[in-house]
Amino acid sequence: MAAILYFAEEVFGMHLYLPVALTSVNVLMPIGLGLMVGLLSGLFGVGGGFLMTPLLIMLGIPSTVAAATDSNQIVAASTSGTYAHWRVGNVDFKMGFYLLVGGFSGGLLGVQAMKLLKATGNADFVIKMTYVFMLGLVGVYMLYESLSSMKKKKAAAMAEVVVEPPRKESGFAKLLGRLPLQTRFEKSGVSHSVILPIFFGALVGVLAAIMGVGGGFLMVPVMVYILRMPMHVVVGTSLFQILFTCIEVTFLQAYTNHSVDFVLAVLLLLGSTVGAQIGAVFGRKLKADQLKVYLAAIVLLVTVKIVFDLTLTPSHLLGMGGGH
Amino acid sequence: MKSLKTAIIASLFVIAGLTFPVGGAQASLTARANHDHIKIDFFYNGSEVSVRGIQDPGVDLIVKLTSPDSNQDLKKKGKVSGFLWMNVGEIKFDNVPNLYFAQSSKKVDEILSKDEQDKYLVGYEALAKRAGVSPVASPEEKAKWFDEFVKLKESNKLYFVTDGGFTTNPDEPGKGYYMKFQWPYQAPPGDYLVTVYAVKGGKVIEQATSKVNVEQVGAVKTLADMARKNGAIYGGLSVLVAILAGFGVGLVFGKGGGAH
Repeated sequence: MAAILYFAEEVFGMHLYLPVALTSVNVLMPIGLGLMVGLLSGLFGVGGGFLMTPLLIMLGIPSTVAAATDSNQIVAASTSGTYAHWRVGNVDFKMGFYLLVGGFSGGLLGVQAMKLLKATGNADFVIKMTYVFMLGLVGVYMLYESLSSMKKKKAAAMAEVVVEPPRKESGFAKLLGRLPLQTRFEKSGVSHSVILPIFFGALVGVLAAIMGVGGGFLMVPVMVYILRMPMHVVVGTSLFQILFTCIEVTFLQAYTNHSVDFVLAVLLLLGSTVGAQIGAVFGRKLKADQLKVYLAAIVLLVTVKIVFDLTLTPSHLLGMGGGH
Repeated sequence: MKSLKTAIIASLFVIAGLTFPVGGAQASLTARANHDHIKIDFFYNGSEVSVRGIQDPGVDLIVKLTSPDSNQDLKKKGKVSGFLWMNVGEIKFDNVPNLYFAQSSKKVDEILSKDEQDKYLVGYEALAKRAGVSPVASPEEKAKWFDEFVKLKESNKLYFVTDGGFTTNPDEPGKGYYMKFQWPYQAPPGDYLVTVYAVKGGKVIEQATSKVNVEQVGAVKTLADMARKNGAIYGGLSVLVAILAGFGVGLVFGKGGGAH
């Protein structure tokens, strides 16, 4: 017993020094954070960057290192999550590929847009406003849509197996149907022009680059509401897309900014890979609308937090340079 | 971990030996820092640096621990549209140390004149007078931003100024001095200078110095060097380990779980 207590004291009080962040952390903090964010990743198909990066900064990690290292751990969590979803046939690789093509192009455009914004000195304002607007819009819409859908149980049941937009054939849907290069996405059970996932992938890529996140929380609604994919395929496919985006980001951050902390990433991924697996298991036990309500609630909570940060007087009027 | 920390704080007692009598005083002041070489390994979580030595009776002491002066660019926050707090530009601080600790045996203003404080850079006021802050429109604005700078540094445990905390040197009962600083893990690798001032009649009559070197060692140094010098290999390795870890955990859960 004494040996167990001694071991617990040693482990729980154990600090590790992070060679790139140049700081020391209690190992339980990043592992716990990783577990929590990995759980969300496996459940909802989001990378969790919009949650993890601010939490790491609160732990005392410099913002540039926090963002870059978060990308590195998302590679692990999304590999773990993609693998779990792939085993049960929930990854639409074809759709994921087109979204990736768009996402990469959009990311490049977004980086250029950021350079322009930084040159004009308005970058921080645009980033914060994009965050509040996009998170608020996505959160409110998802919450409204899934709550009203849950009220109509029949509609909720249909959302699981929907093939084509069943209700009204809107003008927008007709327009999408007339686009060239139509193809069938068997896994998702939908037909679209390849232009559609490439275009929306690019749009998310631009926003993700501006906001400095992977864009999972934007990509998921695009797949659900515009591409009309079933929720469980959405989660697996989103993780697949996030995996490749974060591989690219991690490598570029390590190569150009030297801001990836490998030790921190390992601590985070110890938690996040396990969390992603648990999330994938729980996700299958929840209904699609329940998943959407929970994701919407988290997105709205983050929005409220950012609004507070923006409006309450900060404790320090100076901050370290870099990152956002 | 305490045992590890104790091991780290092991006694590397080095007599620092430089003493400078000021103004021809016949005095003997010594300073030595335990652990003049702090090694940062994976289990490093800050340390403790104690300073001890001998001083003449009847003098007061001020111990200062600083890093070399540097220029620091920070982001300043301000209100946009009257209610939104965000970064509104950069502000540059010149001739400021990244780390500054000062501890005196009594309140500094009671034992050292303002001119001497400025001359020997003792206290925040002296630091503020020498620091360059730009862009600022007025001396009041400079003072405001320097105060914010100190607040930020204090919250990162890189600055403090205090008095008291001196005890008798256990090596020299009755006549020596002994005090200690908590060394923060936030202090980056580099060379730091310990200066001890013997003060009498509002003036510094003697000073002694000692050096503290903080250095990354072992795997911490290897990783930090690789991140800086071989970004491509480091990035590739980071990605590879993450993918393998993700697959590894996936396989473990896949075999044992059966929940899918």
